[in-house]
Amino acid sequence: MDTFIQLTIDAVTLGSVYALIALGYTLVYGVLKLLNFAHGDVFMVGTFIGYGVLQELGGSSSPKLSVWLIIPIITLAAMGGCALLGITIERFAYRPLRDAPRIAPLISALGVSFFLENSMQLLFGATPRNYNAFNFGNGYLYLKGFQIHGVTVPLLRIVTVVSAFVLMVALWFLVNKTRTGKAMRATSFDREAAAMMGIDIDRVIVFTFVLGSALAGAAGVIFALRVPTTVNIGFVIGLKGFIAAVIGGIGSIPGAMAGGLLLGFAESYVQGYISTQWSDLYVFSGLILLMIFRHQGLLGRPDIRKV
Amino acid sequence: MKKAIGAALAVIALAVIASSAQGAPKVAVSATAGYSCSKSITLPFITPLTGGAGFLGQEQSSWASYAVKTLAPGMHLKVKLVLGDTPVEQGPAPAQALAQKYIGDPSVLAILGPSTSGGVAATSKTFFAAKLAHLSPSATRTDLTQGPVAQREGSPAFFRDVPGDYIQGPSDAAFMIKTLHVKKVVVFDFQEPYSLGLAAAATTVLQKAGVSVSRLSAPNTTTDYSAFVTKVPNDADIVFFPTQKPGDAQTFAQQMIEQGKKAKVFGGDGSNDPSQFKVPGSYVSNFAPDITGIKADASLINGWKKANPGKQVGSFGPPSYGAVQILLDAIKIACAQGHGTATRAAVFHSVKKVRINNWILGGTFRWSTKTNDPLNAKFYIFQIQSNGSYKLVG
Amino acid sequence: MTDSTPHGYHSTAAEGPAIGQDEWVARHADAVVLPGILGVAERRLRRLPWWVWLVLFLAAFSIFPVVESSGYVRLVAFDTVLYMLLALGLNVVVGWGGLLDLGYVVFYGFGAYAYALLDSPHYGIHLTTIASVPLIVVMGAVVGLLLGLPSWRLTGDYLAIVTLFALQLFQTITTNWQHVTGGPFGILNVDPFDLPGGHQLAVQHGGIFAVSYLYVALAFFAVVFVALRMVNNSRTGRAWRSLREDPLAAEAMGMPVNWLKLMSFSFGAAVAAFTGTLFAAQSANVFPLSFYFVALITIYTMVILGGSGNQAGVVLGALIIGPLLEALRSADKSRYLFFITLVLGLLFAWRRSRALGVVAVATLGFGFAVHAIAGAIHSDWVAGEHTGGFAGFVDHWVVAPAHLARWLSPVSYVGVIVAALVLTLLRGRVRLVLLVPTLYLAAFVWENVMLSKPDAARYIVLGVILIVLMILRPSGLLGERRVEIV
Repeated sequence: MDTFIQLTIDAVTLGSVYALIALGYTLVYGVLKLLNFAHGDVFMVGTFIGYGVLQELGGSSSPKLSVWLIIPIITLAAMGGCALLGITIERFAYRPLRDAPRIAPLISALGVSFFLENSMQLLFGATPRNYNAFNFGNGYLYLKGFQIHGVTVPLLRIVTVVSAFVLMVALWFLVNKTRTGKAMRATSFDREAAAMMGIDIDRVIVFTFVLGSALAGAAGVIFALRVPTTVNIGFVIGLKGFIAAVIGGIGSIPGAMAGGLLLGFAESYVQGYISTQWSDLYVFSGLILLMIFRHQGLLGRPDIRKV
Repeated sequence: MKKAIGAALAVIALAVIASSAQGAPKVAVSATAGYSCSKSITLPFITPLTGGAGFLGQEQSSWASYAVKTLAPGMHLKVKLVLGDTPVEQGPAPAQALAQKYIGDPSVLAILGPSTSGGVAATSKTFFAAKLAHLSPSATRTDLTQGPVAQREGSPAFFRDVPGDYIQGPSDAAFMIKTLHVKKVVVFDFQEPYSLGLAAAATTVLQKAGVSVSRLSAPNTTTDYSAFVTKVPNDADIVFFPTQKPGDAQTFAQQMIEQGKKAKVFGGDGSNDPSQFKVPGSYVSNFAPDITGIKADASLINGWKKANPGKQVGSFGPPSYGAVQILLDAIKIACAQGHGTATRAAVFHSVKKVRINNWILGGTFRWSTKTNDPLNAKFYIFQIQSNGSYKLVG
Repeated sequence: MTDSTPHGYHSTAAEGPAIGQDEWVARHADAVVLPGILGVAERRLRRLPWWVWLVLFLAAFSIFPVVESSGYVRLVAFDTVLYMLLALGLNVVVGWGGLLDLGYVVFYGFGAYAYALLDSPHYGIHLTTIASVPLIVVMGAVVGLLLGLPSWRLTGDYLAIVTLFALQLFQTITTNWQHVTGGPFGILNVDPFDLPGGHQLAVQHGGIFAVSYLYVALAFFAVVFVALRMVNNSRTGRAWRSLREDPLAAEAMGMPVNWLKLMSFSFGAAVAAFTGTLFAAQSANVFPLSFYFVALITIYTMVILGGSGNQAGVVLGALIIGPLLEALRSADKSRYLFFITLVLGLLFAWRRSRALGVVAVATLGFGFAVHAIAGAIHSDWVAGEHTGGFAGFVDHWVVAPAHLARWLSPVSYVGVIVAALVLTLLRGRVRLVLLVPTLYLAAFVWENVMLSKPDAARYIVLGVILIVLMILRPSGLLGERRVEIV
């Protein structure tokens, strides 16, 4: 029972990060029908921005402010930095390809991914960066928490899950209750019709990228609080986020959230109960079967081709 | 128009190819061709500088370049260190291409690396055919120098200045059995050669002594070990965690504490980094005592720190310094033997004559008579204290 | 003379043929002919049949290693031929079938591992090459058929996703199934090829790469090129073309769309498996990581650069990218390449106009001025590491400080990027004026920041090539105008 609770906690923690990244993929796919391969690297840049700001604020061993102030500050810094990066990428690498054949922005995204990853490698080297959150008040974030059935849920995980939840609620609000969100939904439904209705497509797309990249930046900080980061994680974690988006149905926002959590659960339970060595095999085989039998994912819309 | 562009680019392509050929000799370099020791000697270093193992190569190359800068002038040798990148994500192909490149360069008398065991397996026979000695500061796979000759992955041209996994695995296991009196151990591997070799070696010794061993295997790209921690039995004594990334050892140890598991984490030499892995109570094994504690190395370390501000002394770096030292010594011996000219064959035969008295890793460096490994290598076991420092315990 | 190469004819219409104009007319009308002797030469060259070009190319490639005896150059040439083969195979799937297959290297890995299992001490089987290679090609085609089955139900992006998952799966299996694949340790001591007489083709002589393997690779290449060309000119090829142009119409016309997709997968897989055996025999080792994302993306770059759908194009793409990646490893060659690219870029942007001359002179002058000023302030700032040759000359122009301050690298790097991006937004004279310091800053960054780590710089260059290529010329160098993902 203990194991089950622990694995569930792990699943939710992992899943929240995946969900945030998946949201970025899904938002962009919705409006542009583009699989943004560079998204994982934006996430990676977010982790580094968070690290940089953290070091400016003294690092975890000698923080200049309370930890409860530092974490929101670095999160906001990462979100802002990544949003800026996202806007730049969209403006220069994707906008000129708005009407090109579908493969063009895909390849461009690949190029951006290479560019980002290796630029960071060039400028900052390959050594892993650790936020060392354990040092905040000597393990305070790791050891204090609340208890379920004898299992401790440490503060750090609570912070992770709650932040992700708050951000997802904020996103839901922005998408469903504001005018720009409505415009975004309209654009993802039918871009040409939305343009004819007077919606400024460029602004909507910029808005989408801001949202997606900011979420990636936040995910970066949340992720890196627990685990060391290097320039290469963008690829691995980006892939996981992408898979989560696909599971939930790419293009569907609740799908991305569900997909992220589902992937977290799948990974956690497969590793915990079945096999750690072959967890990838099971997860990917399952995914292939899922795609073959329900290619639009769990909550996605099946695309109807009009002849 | 298209043709013009195509033609122009074809021209560029040919220019690129032609410029690649520039500098390459017209005649193949023979192993007995003499090279004047007063000319600049090229020392290539084949190591991963980018990609997932890039941190390894970057640390090693900083020490290697420091060694070349400080040691070569004293030996009256002009040495240039050239770095060749072999990202692990690309398999053996870059190592093989680099091997060809350096074999064709007459100013190359010996090679540093390849740093990865896979790279050595892919290139050692080629180097042997060219009679080029190559010395690796970190390729520790047992089969490279041990085992039946026909199945050995390395060739007689392969040397290493750090002991292989066949020493580390059993000695760590022996420590666990004799000093820690373990009853139950969890052994990890990360689906790559370094950890698989160590895990296999340690498991054999532990099982022979009647210790109950359970194995866990994590993909090399794992960053979050929570699910793995849940699989560690509550009554396990030690988790043997032979990772190459100290940060991962730290993460794992922290998550063990988080989940209330009482087993201690035991890392290999790959986790030796006091700045990254510092959970008190954990163990680390390394092929050298803490070199910052060796008095003879003090000026060396200070010099390195000045040349590399802000960086910490890790465990992969100093053997690279030592490797350069051995190779330069070998070249010096060959030069003396050839009265100012050295040949690759001479350097190859001189490597095993090298003996270093103030070895950077402590004590004296001598070659084993039977294999191309260091003699009497032993592993030192440290325990992390409550203030994060490493204390020698075995 | 119909073949898939639109011989540089430029339709003056916009993307694709105009309404009412069919494809052939669009391709062959409005020929742009150069005046005088160049025009005569161009017309003569255009009339040459394709196989003449192939023979000339093979001849040039074959003479090359005789002229150049460095094992390194030969090995790079061999690797390039491998890439050309893989690009040809990927061209079948992406260019002709129109399927975005992100798992292509699975077939490459399959071929290599199959050869390693059949011809190595691993299982003790040592099948002779004449038997094992064709067997592996057939097995590869079958595996391609199997892996292509999801295309029955999936299209476009979804097929891409499934093939991506298949790649991950392959990597997991080869890394963990130690009994069969040797796991991360790989399979070692794979046999080299042997000729029918029992004579083994040695991979190296005295450590130097043997030229015989290069010739074997070229032979493979010729066979594959011709075979694929024949396939493309057959009914299947025409069916593929119509499938690409409009899949719905093709289906409505009664074409076996699903079967066609499977065929393209199958052919591509066979080529990849063929190449895999060649790679395994030469490399003598097979490791899982050789068949993962880096290989995939490199091959895709070559196909996209050259123009997917056009065999000559993808070969050209491989010919450019393969040696380029290798050449960029060395700081000296990178320097040459950078300045050549800069000059060529300027030439293409401002062909023979006055602006070009002005910019060139201004940049040179600006550079020398800044260099002089910096040198006057502090001699350490212009120390530079190189004395002779081109590098030395460059060091008199670019500011190359002895010690680069830590903050200077990221700041100047980001500065160049921002400046370049801003330049694309400006027009007219402002742009020209801003171009001069940007070019100089770019040279500064290249010399000081990127050349200090040529290995990371290589991939940055690759990424930039991809982005710029897509923006300027998405169909690649010699490609067809539109390639849709089916």
